Amino acid sequence: MTLIHVPRPDMRSAMDPGRPVNALLKAQVQHLHEAEKNLPFRHRTDIYINAIKTEGEAAEYIRRVTEAIHEAHAAAAKKRARPVIKRKRGIAIAAAADKRPVGKGPGAGGQKKKSTGNRGRKT
Amino acid sequence: MPAGLDNLRHIVVLMMENRSFDHMLGSLTAVNPQIDGIAAQLSNPDTNGNPVQPQPLAQFQGQLDPDPDHHFPAVDLQIFGGDTSPNRVANMQGFVKSYFNQQRDVGHSQKIMYYFAQNQLPVLTTLALEFAVFNRWFASIPGPTICNRAFAHYGTSFGRVDMNPIYINEPFKSIYDRLINATPKHTAKLYYYDTTSSTMEVANLLQNQPELFGTYPQFLNDCGTGNLPDYSFIEPNFNDHDSDSGEEVANDQHPDHNVQAGELFIASVYNAIKQNSNLWKSTALLVVYDEHGGIYDHVIPPACTPDQFTASANDTGTGMQFAFDRLGVRVPAILVSPWIPRGTVVNRTFDHASIPATITKFFLGDFSPRSPRETGADVFIEPNGPAVDPARNLLSLANMRNDCPDFDV
Repeated sequence: MTLIHVPRPDMRSAMDPGRPVNALLKAQVQHLHEAEKNLPFRHRTDIYINAIKTEGEAAEYIRRVTEAIHEAHAAAAKKRARPVIKRKRGIAIAAAADKRPVGKGPGAGGQKKKSTGNRGRKT
Repeated sequence: MPAGLDNLRHIVVLMMENRSFDHMLGSLTAVNPQIDGIAAQLSNPDTNGNPVQPQPLAQFQGQLDPDPDHHFPAVDLQIFGGDTSPNRVANMQGFVKSYFNQQRDVGHSQKIMYYFAQNQLPVLTTLALEFAVFNRWFASIPGPTICNRAFAHYGTSFGRVDMNPIYINEPFKSIYDRLINATPKHTAKLYYYDTTSSTMEVANLLQNQPELFGTYPQFLNDCGTGNLPDYSFIEPNFNDHDSDSGEEVANDQHPDHNVQAGELFIASVYNAIKQNSNLWKSTALLVVYDEHGGIYDHVIPPACTPDQFTASANDTGTGMQFAFDRLGVRVPAILVSPWIPRGTVVNRTFDHASIPATITKFFLGDFSPRSPRETGADVFIEPNGPAVDPARNLLSLANMRNDCPDFDV
């Protein structure tokens, strides 16, 4: 079995976060910006993408939006998994008692009752 | 069924960035004449009309700056040499002219013809010589990254030839969707390097199905624990950035990123698979580049089955519409498996639509609907069935090799 030596790059010259963003990274930033628009507000960054000029700046934006996408999906999954709280029986009876009897008055015939803006108050 | 196919459980695709076949593997013709690389008579005219020959003077970094243009109009110039007449013929004579357009510097434009000497790329050239190298693997479109990578995931770019987000509103599902929703269910994962590099497949898959994704450290862990999915697609690090473990240099090999960093990355993927003996015997690794990045290659891209989409003259930027009936420029592609005979050279024609075509046929048998380009694409691993054509089966050895190289990473 042959062992092939793989030379390492000179890190001092290879690494340059100040390098201007190439077309590929620009496209990636734009794609993430589009994706960011679909996120709930609390997960969005406040980064102005037209001001991103260097690879390091692009990397930071890419990281933040990628993490935000995962966080938003995780939050949604957690919400879906939360058990549904059943209403207590007493409340349901009280709500039913609020209904107008069928066949009496102007709201009869299944029409929806208009909100008075005094929900929950006795009038 | 041949032993190699019988053992095959995992297919891994590593897609690098923006280097042509001649640029990376052209030197190997001198070692194995069956490999269709650099020959003596090749040249491109510069803007003074002088012939510029390919030379083994490529450097790891700092030479292809600015990034050579590889958008649709530039690639059209590279392939057709500037001829825009109706009956034009491709000649691969426009690479130097195209690069000249970016800096108006004749001397600098000649660097687009440079290629790497074999000893500069010990990983890629060793894999090409030890396993199966493809003489005719082309980018799917004569254009840039995003639309080419879309072919690897969907078998089509849905009519796009540019870098804009591709929103999937067509019935062609990604290869990941097909696998994870199949009965019986298969597993698939798209591994990006880390969250700071993220993925090029943002607009659709990451946004809507983040559960399909993992990071490169997770890939290494999945290899070590034997939990690799049936299908894995790996993306390199697309940018220089700091991380918890230190400085991360871009290893995608996109100009002007460091090519040696990419060599290390390819070697680390190979080693991760090889170091788990059960995985090594049951995995095939395809190393392929998304497109040529504007860098010289001498093989004329062939015509292909048209897709059901057409890019308008306005979208192509050439004044001519494009029916997706011609492949892009040739790129390096190597298939690795201990069941492949040393020194295999494949002359059949492939493009990135061959990736979902192969994965679909191997794991699912069939799937409908798929794009015309994908159904017309050849497969690089034969379908998992009783009748295997020995002439097309690359994993053809009766016994697994035990002489495969290791890389000191």
